[in-house]
Amino acid sequence: MATPCGYRHPVAMFRLQGSKVLAVDMTGDAVKAKNGSMVAYDGQMAFKKLSGGGEGVRGMVTRRITGEQMTLMEVKGQGTCWFADRASEINLVSLQGDKLFVESSNLLATGSGLRTGTSFTGMRGASQGNGLFTTTVEGHGQAAIMSDGPAVVLRVSSQYPLTVDPGAYIAHQGDLRQSFQSGVTFRTFLGEGGGEAFQIRFEGDGVVYVQPSERNSIAGDV
Amino acid sequence: MPFREINSKMIEATVAPGQRLFSQRGAMLAYKGEVSFTPNTQGGQGGVMSMIGRRAAGEATPLMTVEGSGTVLFGHGGHHIQVITLTGETLYVEADRLLAFDGTLQQGTMFMGSQGGVMGMVRGQVTGQGLFTTTLKGHGAVAVMAHGGVIEVPIGPQRPVHVDPQAYVAHHGDVRNKLSSALGLRDLVGRGSGEAFQLELSGSGAVYVQASEEKL
Repeated sequence: MATPCGYRHPVAMFRLQGSKVLAVDMTGDAVKAKNGSMVAYDGQMAFKKLSGGGEGVRGMVTRRITGEQMTLMEVKGQGTCWFADRASEINLVSLQGDKLFVESSNLLATGSGLRTGTSFTGMRGASQGNGLFTTTVEGHGQAAIMSDGPAVVLRVSSQYPLTVDPGAYIAHQGDLRQSFQSGVTFRTFLGEGGGEAFQIRFEGDGVVYVQPSERNSIAGDV
Repeated sequence: MPFREINSKMIEATVAPGQRLFSQRGAMLAYKGEVSFTPNTQGGQGGVMSMIGRRAAGEATPLMTVEGSGTVLFGHGGHHIQVITLTGETLYVEADRLLAFDGTLQQGTMFMGSQGGVMGMVRGQVTGQGLFTTTLKGHGAVAVMAHGGVIEVPIGPQRPVHVDPQAYVAHHGDVRNKLSSALGLRDLVGRGSGEAFQLELSGSGAVYVQASEEKL
């Protein structure tokens, strides 16, 4: 088994089988995955429920306060485990010590070397219809995120800031600052808005994952 | 090969005189040539016993016979279609997932209890498949519908495969299946991992799994 990036421990290998099924080859280590997303496995596996918001008491308190109800399960064992969720497209993200911000509903699985936590998003979260908090994933390893339709990865650099629709945003990674833009004008109040009243603007250096579909959000209605 | 995949959600079937084809009623999208569609209410093939079986089981998805010469396009509900080629083995599939299949294939009904006894019957209930399932045997092609894409997972004697009952589509080969439950105390107090029931398939053959936990 290949051990990328000088890992000493055996690490679960993520690979895509088609665009909608994630296959994870495991050798005794544990991965975290969205509750109930296993579709098949061979070998020996054990499933245990975890809760989002990070580990320990602090995580528990965070969960209570934030309402970021991400239910994850820990899958541990030897063999291959296949994951899929409601026929969503799956994208693999590899992390080398950096941080991935992702909507909890879009997170499918994370490798054993990754930690998950919660962070505050402010107005942006509310406009996306996802609440005020979002999930963070950091460490070394691979994560699988889901999108409704194949996601595009858009690069943001210092000269090229990016503005995205809150409903189509799924995740971002790298050194990015985000600001919330509102295009609300007099016309919006008259019910003549263009349907693009709110946007998120990303500046800095990193990548943003955008799906070719829009969630139902307040921003999409005005 | 009578089935040709146009895209992931549509197949084209070629019918020639003397070659019959069965398909789910209403699944025809378009056709070219002289093709006739006759509903078969008589329960298709498999004799009276399997007809009674199908009736009793509610495993009576209306089928139609497609005959003539030409090409027919099939698709249904925007579901993904997987073409499975059988070379003598038996395919076990739920009737409502069957889109179309070769007329040369022998159609039958299997009582769940005959594989795995009481647990087999429980399995049928849990998976929403009921007490009976459809079997197809022989040489030919079968088009099966699934929500999302389908992956084929091989089953070996030393390599049993566990499948989420809701994601199970079909299986073929010499395979025994049983419902295994990993129901623990955690599930009872509402802290389950959502994977309480699994279908354990062992033997040799292959199982088809869809990329979704939704029924058709």
